[in-house]
Amino acid sequence: MERSFKKEVEALRLGDGDTFHGEGILAVTKALLQSGVSYVGGYQGAPVSHLLDVLVDAEDMMAELGVHLETCSNEASAAAMLGASINYPLRGAVTWKSIVGTNVAADALSNLSSPGVLGGAMIILGEDYGEGASVIQERSYAYALKSSMWLLDPRPDLPTIVRTVELGFDLSEASHAPVMLELRIRACHATGEFAARNNRKGVASGLDKIDGPPRFNYDRLAHPPVIYKQEKLKVEERMPAARAFIAKHKMNETIDGDLSDIGIVVMGGLTNSVLRALERLGLADVFGASRIPIKVLNVVYPLVPDEIREFCASKRSVLVVEEGHPDYIEQAINVELRRADIQTKIYGKGPLPQSGEYTSEVLLEGLAAYLQAARPAGIDADAIAEQARGLYGHKPKAAAALGPLPPRPPSFCTGCPERPVFSALKLVQRELGPAHISADIGCHAFGTLPPFSMGNSILGYGMSLASAAAVGPNMTERSISIMGDGGFWHNGLITGVASNLFNKGDGVLIVMQNGYTSATGQQFMPSSLSNRDGAAPGMDIEKTLRSMGVKWLRKVRTYGVANMTKTLKEAMKTAEKGLKVIIADGECQLARQRRVRAEDAIKLKQGQRVTHARYGVDDEICTGDHSCIRLSGCPSLTVKPSPDPLRTDPVANVVDSCVGCGLCGEVAHAAVLCPSFYRAEIVRNATAWDRFLFRFRQTVIGWLGGYNGKTAPAAEPLPELKAAA
Amino acid sequence: MTAQRPITLLIAALGGEGGGVLTNWLVNAAEDAGFPVQSTSIPGVAQRTGATTYYIEIYPVQIAALNGKRPVLALTPGVGDIDIAVASELLEAGRAVAGGFVTPNRTHVIASLSRFYAMDEKTAMGDGRFDTDKLIAVINDNAHDALLFDMAKLAAEAGSIISAVMLGAIAGSHRLPLTVEQLEAAIRADGKAVDSNLRGFRAGLETARARSVEETQPTPPLPVKKNARLTLAGLEDEVMRDLPAAAHQFAIEGVRRLTAYQSVAYARLYLDRLAAIAQADAQSGAQGKLLKETARHLAVRMSFEDVVRVAQAKIEPSRMARIARDELRVKDEPFSVHDFLKPGIEELCQLLPPFLARPIIRLAERRGWLGKVYFGMEINSTSVFGYLRFATLAKLRAIRPYGYRYALEQAQLTGWLALIAEAAQRSPAFALEVVECARLIKGYGDTYTRGLHNYQTIETRIVRPALAGDIPLARAADAVASARTAALVDPEGESLARCLAEIERQTHLPIAAE
Repeated sequence: MERSFKKEVEALRLGDGDTFHGEGILAVTKALLQSGVSYVGGYQGAPVSHLLDVLVDAEDMMAELGVHLETCSNEASAAAMLGASINYPLRGAVTWKSIVGTNVAADALSNLSSPGVLGGAMIILGEDYGEGASVIQERSYAYALKSSMWLLDPRPDLPTIVRTVELGFDLSEASHAPVMLELRIRACHATGEFAARNNRKGVASGLDKIDGPPRFNYDRLAHPPVIYKQEKLKVEERMPAARAFIAKHKMNETIDGDLSDIGIVVMGGLTNSVLRALERLGLADVFGASRIPIKVLNVVYPLVPDEIREFCASKRSVLVVEEGHPDYIEQAINVELRRADIQTKIYGKGPLPQSGEYTSEVLLEGLAAYLQAARPAGIDADAIAEQARGLYGHKPKAAAALGPLPPRPPSFCTGCPERPVFSALKLVQRELGPAHISADIGCHAFGTLPPFSMGNSILGYGMSLASAAAVGPNMTERSISIMGDGGFWHNGLITGVASNLFNKGDGVLIVMQNGYTSATGQQFMPSSLSNRDGAAPGMDIEKTLRSMGVKWLRKVRTYGVANMTKTLKEAMKTAEKGLKVIIADGECQLARQRRVRAEDAIKLKQGQRVTHARYGVDDEICTGDHSCIRLSGCPSLTVKPSPDPLRTDPVANVVDSCVGCGLCGEVAHAAVLCPSFYRAEIVRNATAWDRFLFRFRQTVIGWLGGYNGKTAPAAEPLPELKAAA
Repeated sequence: MTAQRPITLLIAALGGEGGGVLTNWLVNAAEDAGFPVQSTSIPGVAQRTGATTYYIEIYPVQIAALNGKRPVLALTPGVGDIDIAVASELLEAGRAVAGGFVTPNRTHVIASLSRFYAMDEKTAMGDGRFDTDKLIAVINDNAHDALLFDMAKLAAEAGSIISAVMLGAIAGSHRLPLTVEQLEAAIRADGKAVDSNLRGFRAGLETARARSVEETQPTPPLPVKKNARLTLAGLEDEVMRDLPAAAHQFAIEGVRRLTAYQSVAYARLYLDRLAAIAQADAQSGAQGKLLKETARHLAVRMSFEDVVRVAQAKIEPSRMARIARDELRVKDEPFSVHDFLKPGIEELCQLLPPFLARPIIRLAERRGWLGKVYFGMEINSTSVFGYLRFATLAKLRAIRPYGYRYALEQAQLTGWLALIAEAAQRSPAFALEVVECARLIKGYGDTYTRGLHNYQTIETRIVRPALAGDIPLARAADAVASARTAALVDPEGESLARCLAEIERQTHLPIAAE
């Protein structure tokens, strides 16, 4: 894994009387242990990858508590795991990235929430919405609504998050429904503290096993005819039970304020942002006391009608702060008030934008617009609007002064084994013309960004081959699908490969075999060479494909750009029908470097011979065209001012972070760019032969007029000349 | 109630650079000092070299003094609500300004002058770098005060991560309720590379205390070989005596370079060629500007990149010394340098006399070998045999003037110089643009072919028609400049084609034969 939590997981042992310090995601893990879970699982994805990483690093401790950990092969398998809570009083939690993971899990979720649960079942959703998000901007709310699962959205401070997790299990058991807890990306990474409690063992667990299944009970199946009964149970029993629990335990909070003819209803996760905006407008203090009454919804579904009515009834108007589209909460509140015939006017989308993240600026503007519309007694709304404009009004001018800045999206790491494949694809298309490229989710999606800018569609994780199924037959040339090994095991094997073979499809599939699910932080997956217990899982992509009936299959080392180019051309042009698979083989360089550096350090210490290579560019030979950069895009291959006073264009430059993967040289070679690249190698703990040969060569070359190892004479600077105008 | 507000800190960094480490140091130091503190980030594990930010709020009243109350700390940075904006890279500091996070009423900017170029800046075919001076000016205009210095350099000198230098600079700014000792303790408690990070910390701290603002270094001049100078003295004197002062720097550099490249006689040819332009310059009233720029480009063009030049550069002792010293940081370990060459048929014919080279190239063209057949080789330039291969190639310098490439280049150059002289008679501004077109021709293989083709296209479609009076002179200079810029936008030539079509549409010119 990219990040180790070995140090942090010690905090998971804290008990009564201790104070926990740390990140939000770690606090959630602690809350799970305090809640007495019997099993946990999930599939990695930002922003909850670390939750799973923490669980893996805490495996020893969880074994002590008898907690079973499963690193699932996808979200559907994680969701199906919750099935353990249908028949048994086992508490369990699973996690994944929403909305995409929830989409994958949806089938199991529907069939879980229909029979309902006996033990508390919780899904921790990493809500990847807004800034830095890498998925379609949809909300998990729709799933909660349609399947009658409860959706928790706690205020982003650690004590509230922990309390909501603990109460969430009770809520799940009290209402026999699964609950989802959504955590926005910043809340996952927010640091803070809370008063820890002792960890609890589950009712039953690996330490205290269940004695045989319950008596056969058809009601526990999501299958007709009981599904009709289950639908009724959802609305007539579970929902009222949930509402009663939420109200009884005051899961939602009310902040009183003196401007009592108006109010704000806010999703728990946005509370701090709203309070800060009010504070900047002089309507709240830094300790969270507000002049405008606020209803904080730590449970955003279901709403508790009595709470809503009570909060709204005495007010002329209320603003609903609900991020994203559609406005589920605003609609629900309007319906509730209508039913109760309460005339309070509801504002929401309007003063606040329909879509997009509610940043500080958006909230300042929205709150000011609401106040100007609502005109509460006791404050000058126009003056406040003016004040708000003063806080963000400078931004357009500052941005205009700089003009458009070069964007800096994330990109392939230095030495990434996937980048060379895109270099090869670029070269192949230069020769054969553009091809339809079906892209996928994973690090290789960076191929859609400059300098490669290729990919015609992205339909989902492991979906590239499936999404090309109807493209190929309708085009003159073959299409190319790109899939990572993560995506292959997550979905692509069945959805893509099996379907293609079953339908006797054609086309080219490139499987990036780097050995990890790298984009989410290098977790292990079925074809990794190791697993969290150190043993290889033993599944092999090549063997799998062969056994499924793939005939045309090549395994190519990714860094060999020339070879990759040749293989790709062959795949595109061969007369052979059927799926053609190229396994692009190269270990994730981040993972490799972590391993190799540690190994090299040990070897160096033990006095063993270690060679270290890096690449370089001769700036005298480089003419500053940057073709090499357009074909490589390596972060370590950059530009610097030309040392040549006669040239103005910057020259290529390899910086210190180079790991010596050799792609720049390969590309220069394969594309016949220029002779300015070189590989330099240093031998540490050299053998006597190394040293003899080196000295011999240097001496002879020195005689011949070359570098003899002595520092070259300092070059004479040009004489001072008056600066030419 | 005029309550104390939280101190807000926005850190702009690049993914994978260690911004998280800096954040942890600050949070740990604040926690240890008893202040309420909260940090957030949007790392997304896949941030990978992309722009990212970290946000910290520290409430400057100790928890013990708050009587059980806790401030509500925000998770997102507020526009216009930042006390300290820190950036490990200058463009990212600019991004913070453009985002509205830097305001004159309160924001103290601490940013590195170092640049880590973004993809779009690097992939440009010419110079795509964002204007550093503009960044510095706009940061200074928007900040309450700004401390800008090269953190990357200090970090490299200290052997620390850049975050350590940043922490030192934050400590030296005295904007946080944390002492130097408390922040140092955070580095120590972390336990990783403590000594080097403390060195980096102190370097940042001292810079902040001295409040010195470095200027970007001007490019140092290219060193010239000592032994070449002696034989050059006469030509250098001639430059100083006969050419206007504006052209001295480039012309001196030119004669030195061409002497090393070929011979004093070749440098003599350079000066002769310049003499014609000097005359044109004087007559057109260009005040030396035309001559200066021609001196620059002519020297570059005359030292065209052929196999001999590459071989010369590869065995240059100073090159090996630089690689050993700066890149490998060799103490006494054995090292080797491996060069990659992949000459094609044209490159192999460069040194053959034209009467031999032409039929070979014609044959290769007919057979479809050009652009297909290459001779790839990897040469260990630190081995005796590898050295000798380059040394032999370098020695072929003597026969270069009789070779095919030389003939081609000289013909091309003469044409360009004639165009400049002719253009100068009409308009010095126009002539200057023609001079600048030499920039297009550079590189090797495809790059060279493409550049030459672009140059020729601009010549036939704009320069020639302008000289013939078909494009108004007033528009010609602009047209050449925009076509040249367009030629450097994309290697496929789409921008150039669009630009030329637009120019021709505006001048209602029938499309000239190519």
